[in-house]
Amino acid sequence: MKPLNFAILKYFATGVEACRADVQEALKADYSGFKAFKDKGMDEALMTAASNGLIEESRLDLDKDGNLVIYYKALEDGIAAINSYIKD
Amino acid sequence: MSERAMSAPAGALEAKKQMEKSFRKKGLFIALMSGFLYGGYTAFMTQGMATGVWVDYYGAASGLSAFAVVYTLSAVGAAVNDICSAIWSIIYAAIIGRLGDFARSVNTKPGRILILAAIIGGPLASTAYVVGLQMAGSIIIPIAALNAAIGAIIGRVIYKQALSGGMIAGIVICFGAAVLIGSTGFTGGEGFSATTVIGILAGFLAALGWGIEGAVGGYACCMVDYEVAIVIRQCTSGIVNGVILCSLLSLMGGDGIGTGLALVGKALVDAPSIWMFVIGGVFASFSFKFWYKGASMCGAALGMGCNGTYAFWGPFWCLIVCGLIFGVEGYAIPWQGWVGALVMVVGIVVLAISQDKASKEA
Repeated sequence: MKPLNFAILKYFATGVEACRADVQEALKADYSGFKAFKDKGMDEALMTAASNGLIEESRLDLDKDGNLVIYYKALEDGIAAINSYIKD
Repeated sequence: MSERAMSAPAGALEAKKQMEKSFRKKGLFIALMSGFLYGGYTAFMTQGMATGVWVDYYGAASGLSAFAVVYTLSAVGAAVNDICSAIWSIIYAAIIGRLGDFARSVNTKPGRILILAAIIGGPLASTAYVVGLQMAGSIIIPIAALNAAIGAIIGRVIYKQALSGGMIAGIVICFGAAVLIGSTGFTGGEGFSATTVIGILAGFLAALGWGIEGAVGGYACCMVDYEVAIVIRQCTSGIVNGVILCSLLSLMGGDGIGTGLALVGKALVDAPSIWMFVIGGVFASFSFKFWYKGASMCGAALGMGCNGTYAFWGPFWCLIVCGLIFGVEGYAIPWQGWVGALVMVVGIVVLAISQDKASKEA
């Protein structure tokens, strides 16, 4: 089992476009018990990865309650960097 | 985080701007706190090293060589602090549920990078700093403050982070402020001997080591949780300082290879001083993890620029803790310190505004 942050980045290294809820859905089987898996911690992890160029914001949306939903995607450089630092 | 080519329903862009603003504010606050808390760590370690068994260590009857009094004891102080800090970091990581990720992260590439960064910035740069101080005097204090500029360059070259003219101006202003604050300790009459040159080179090595650690450690924190990174950092620094560096310095000083470990051991069980190292260790843990976290949220240039406020907070905390609480004389801050702090605020504002502009243009 990988550390949570590694699992988040590896999920994006598949080239998928996803918002925070999508990432939580994909990883919940292994990580739902982690304190850092809560919305706030996950948002911060995604924003930190984005501010360091590993992933990028691809589009914005609003959910049915009017809350902001940010979609992220790793581009070619980001995928290469993630795979070079984090092995399978 | 640019808004280029992003489709967004009404209200989403505004909400995102607010979220970004709050992320930036938090990053800036964390980076500034790293410098503020570093001052607390410095003050409690300084006071700890003047109390209890340390009075004997520095006394004429200690039987230690002159080399040991200057170099080995500095390393012993740093080791005791780092060991206390490592134990606290492990306890804290366990409380907040990060210990599992520590075990999973330590033997990975980012984990090994953090270990290397901790060795470079911890034992190596700190020793270079002490050596520089001894050989060239306090002229190396501002030289070591170049670490923020070096971190910014590393961030730009290796991690392609933004570095605009305005940001460079901010770094230069902060550096000028650190020179002003450090200038009060300048000692004259050393001449410009070969020893001074080696001391200045050691100061540059310290700046390089801290610059590397800040930039590399900060970047690694976009992969390794900063609560995990600090456990890796403090455990590495504590073990390398306490076991390897102290033994090596004892050997070099002719005190016997086991002396360093014995000094560390005795200091760890010395009731009158150890509680100060425990407090200093807690400060160090928060300071270093905020240093990494600040650099990962704001980029190395702004993160390390904000951390550079330690140049003011160090003397400030020493004034409060050593001067006011423990009544030790000689910790008053001269006018250069206060003016330097104000200049540093200007430098950080210039740096932050320029970084914000540069990242929006990227």
